[in-house]
Amino acid sequence: MNIRWDAVVDSTAVESPRAPPVLPQPIVDRNSAGISVRVRLFGALAALSCQQSVELMLPVGALVADVIAILGERLGEIFSAQVVDASGVKRRYCRLFVAGYPVENLQTPLYPTSDLTEIDIILLIALEGG
Amino acid sequence: MNMFSPHPFKPAAQEDGWLPSSCALCYGTCSILAHRVDGTVIKIEGNPDSAVGKGRLCGKGVSGIMTHYDPNRVRYPMRRTNPKKGLYEDPGWKRISWTEALDEIAEVLRKVRADDPRKLVVQRTTTVTASRVPLHAFASAFGTPNFSVSGGGQHCGNGAHLISGIMHASWSIVPDFEYCNYAIFFGASKGHSAGHASCSNMGKAADARVRGMKMVVVDPLCNFAAAKATEWVPLRVGTDAALALGMCNVMVNELGVYDGPYLQAKTNAPYLIGPDKLYVRHPQSKMPLVWDRRSGSARPYNDVPAADMALEGEFTVDRVPCRPAFHCLREHLRKFSPDWTENTSGVPAATVRRLASEFATEARIGSTIVVDGVTLPYRPVAAIAFRGAQGHKNSVYNFYAVDLLNHLVGAADVVGGCLGFNPTSHGHPETGKVRYIPTAGPDGLMVVGSWMGYHYPYPPPEPRLPKNLGLQDLLVIGMTSPFLDSADREEMWEKFDVPYRPEVMINFGANLVMSIANKDAVAESLSKYKFIVSFDLFLTETSNFVDIILPDCSYLQSLDARSNFPFIFSLPGGLGEWCWPIRQPVLPPDGEQRQFAEVLLELADRVGFRADLNAAYNAWLNLEPPYRLTGDTRYSYEEISDRELKNNFGAERGLEWFKQNGLIKWKKKPEEVYWRPFVDVRVPIYWEFLKPIGDKIAAIAEPRGFKIPLEYYDPLPDFLPCRSHCCNKKGFDFYGFYYRDVVHTNSFTMENPWLDEAARLDPFSYTIAINRTEAAKRGFTDGQGVWVESESGRKVKGRLKLTECIHPEGLGFAAMCGHWTDGQPVAKGKGVFYNDLLELDFEHMSPVNINLDLCVKVRVTPAEESP
Repeated sequence: MNIRWDAVVDSTAVESPRAPPVLPQPIVDRNSAGISVRVRLFGALAALSCQQSVELMLPVGALVADVIAILGERLGEIFSAQVVDASGVKRRYCRLFVAGYPVENLQTPLYPTSDLTEIDIILLIALEGG
Repeated sequence: MNMFSPHPFKPAAQEDGWLPSSCALCYGTCSILAHRVDGTVIKIEGNPDSAVGKGRLCGKGVSGIMTHYDPNRVRYPMRRTNPKKGLYEDPGWKRISWTEALDEIAEVLRKVRADDPRKLVVQRTTTVTASRVPLHAFASAFGTPNFSVSGGGQHCGNGAHLISGIMHASWSIVPDFEYCNYAIFFGASKGHSAGHASCSNMGKAADARVRGMKMVVVDPLCNFAAAKATEWVPLRVGTDAALALGMCNVMVNELGVYDGPYLQAKTNAPYLIGPDKLYVRHPQSKMPLVWDRRSGSARPYNDVPAADMALEGEFTVDRVPCRPAFHCLREHLRKFSPDWTENTSGVPAATVRRLASEFATEARIGSTIVVDGVTLPYRPVAAIAFRGAQGHKNSVYNFYAVDLLNHLVGAADVVGGCLGFNPTSHGHPETGKVRYIPTAGPDGLMVVGSWMGYHYPYPPPEPRLPKNLGLQDLLVIGMTSPFLDSADREEMWEKFDVPYRPEVMINFGANLVMSIANKDAVAESLSKYKFIVSFDLFLTETSNFVDIILPDCSYLQSLDARSNFPFIFSLPGGLGEWCWPIRQPVLPPDGEQRQFAEVLLELADRVGFRADLNAAYNAWLNLEPPYRLTGDTRYSYEEISDRELKNNFGAERGLEWFKQNGLIKWKKKPEEVYWRPFVDVRVPIYWEFLKPIGDKIAAIAEPRGFKIPLEYYDPLPDFLPCRSHCCNKKGFDFYGFYYRDVVHTNSFTMENPWLDEAARLDPFSYTIAINRTEAAKRGFTDGQGVWVESESGRKVKGRLKLTECIHPEGLGFAAMCGHWTDGQPVAKGKGVFYNDLLELDFEHMSPVNINLDLCVKVRVTPAEESP
């Protein structure tokens, strides 16, 4: 009772874990007037929205959240309800990849590049047992 | 030992070598070496190079050879000719070609996907852990959320895994066998039978017992764990919460023993609770408040040093009376006196006090130990639970109460304590991949770093009008659901306006008719499907409802790149090594057998959603450039596996490297194994989040005539009786229950001749255990044939085994036997089909996690003739 948990461990005495992988910084096209994005929808999202691919032009400074908002307007509530919860946070079983790298935080910025930025979105099975 | 180089299936002359791979006789998935001589596997042993088993292999594992070479294996695709489906209908199987089979299946899938992909249910057995990703990927790509694992989860997972996840960030819990001095098992057999990391745990548990670890087993039956324990404590079936809460009460209120600093720093014990049973929150930030003893005021928990947080006291915040959660818990525990505990569980009050005292004393609260140069908290006690304790209507509280014992003394994920299986991984030292660490979620409570699916145990999602057939989007604490097959499924779907019905099922290896509950309910559900296709090794009782049977490869003929991942599932906990083994084919397919994962890829091509399937694999396997699958390229399963391995372990360690080496391993660090002090997360000793979830579910359900019993959603654990505890019907004086048999896996292995022989030599495997004294009172004799009848009139027949090693009110059934299919002649007619006594409806499941209640009040009567 007399030894505090928060005093037992010296966190600086152990090796820090390797930093988590980050979204690689793309080569930014500074002359670009906007960000060209191709969103590919898979599985249930494609079936629900009847679209597999959507191309968008976004202003410089756009976030992943802006892409979701635009898609929500175009594809309707049936899309939004599957991708984000009532507070606008991405659902855990919705996986979103920008240029092949996973993105959890919808506030992640997008960058203008010389090519289309590919965004893949898919809903995975939420449940497991055993 | 000669390890093979790349192994063509054409045997070389006098070929003789050992191939590393992974077992699949149960979901423990221990690492094996297969001894192949001239193209025939003649022996299977454990792989000593692997951390998964460390060279040990159980009776099931060494017998796998007999499952593989069983002449009753399915070898060709078959189609039923009898359109009538029923439990005893002969399907009239006709051999067809793969082309015919896949043409028909693809046509059905194409139509249902165009109509509504949710009408497809994908169903798998949990026995083959490796089936998870290919089937999940297929279902995700197809577009259905309806996925099931048959009886898995509904019997063992919705409680155990949920609470292990909330409290330990892991799928299961286990004592830290290397350092634990006092372990108490509630309805669990970790280290003594089958299960997660079974062979590894057997070695660790044996070493711990030799070292002197005292082991107390609380169980109605003195079986595999109890037989090796220091002490067996028999209790009334389904009353685990009563005993655990009684012990908590003695520790806190009689002995005054608890780990205050742990509760302050690592739990929500200091959070202030108002009269509405909810947190008192900061008006602006909405953070839960604690009482800061230094300033004498209520402040957000993250603004106050843990040492200054009050654990007890009556306070007023903005005119609202409130108390710390620990204060509420302490008061709540008072009602579970030793005498009450004795009356409820049958465990004598003196035993309750002694166990609590031993646990509290052995915890050595406040002590530290140095491991690998790192000073760590030392709490060498652990209370663990598994299927037995949580397989009841009171599933959540039974498990929650047991785990409270650990948290009261700070024995959670520290040296010697109760460990999750590998909740924290810093990743491979060269690539940093497969790295995960629990994080702080809403209200500072822990969110798992790794999980088997995306239904994280905390925070639970918001309940909503259900769209899934399993209704887990309403009953959000549940993971796997009985509502796909339950007797009240249609009533529930109608109540909640579920806008579609299941029409097509893809089944992988599950025998649903036997593995969920009574066969009639499941059969009725299966008969409603328009089309069922099933990958199988053998024809089963479920095959009678299947339209097309596809001959699957056995584990000795199959590839899987991640046989023991996620690490939270079946990699042993505690110190040692991280280990990533693969499963590789050591034998070719026989007849026209094909590995299911390859067939699913071909079906995606035929139906036209390969791009979706590639995207699903990218997501499930976390593939990053340059290893991501692109477009609709037709990768083979070998190619996908190769990419996953290179993605995680570097370009030089692809599939060929793993085929040669079998596995990769690296040393665990103390701060990974004993991670709790290093990660700034709290766990709930007061489940405040449960109450609003219950209220929200009730708000949706009750206007539709579906009553939610909110007493199950209270933030503090209670003893709430099973249906069986409330049965007063004359003559119904035993609690039936089943237990995991050490020589059998679920309903799968009875066809294996070696295991069948072992089971026949075991006096319990195929019989019904009854207390000798109670049997004598009723004139029953050893070996007597009896009928066992449930309260609702369901009956099974079996033969009694009289023993002192069972609670007087218990009636124990081993495994899930009693097959009647001609497709498994060795299994046919052996043992008893306990599940046939179980009702399958909302009344017989936990209203919180929808786990089935697995105990039944029964009457035993002599059978007129021997069964």
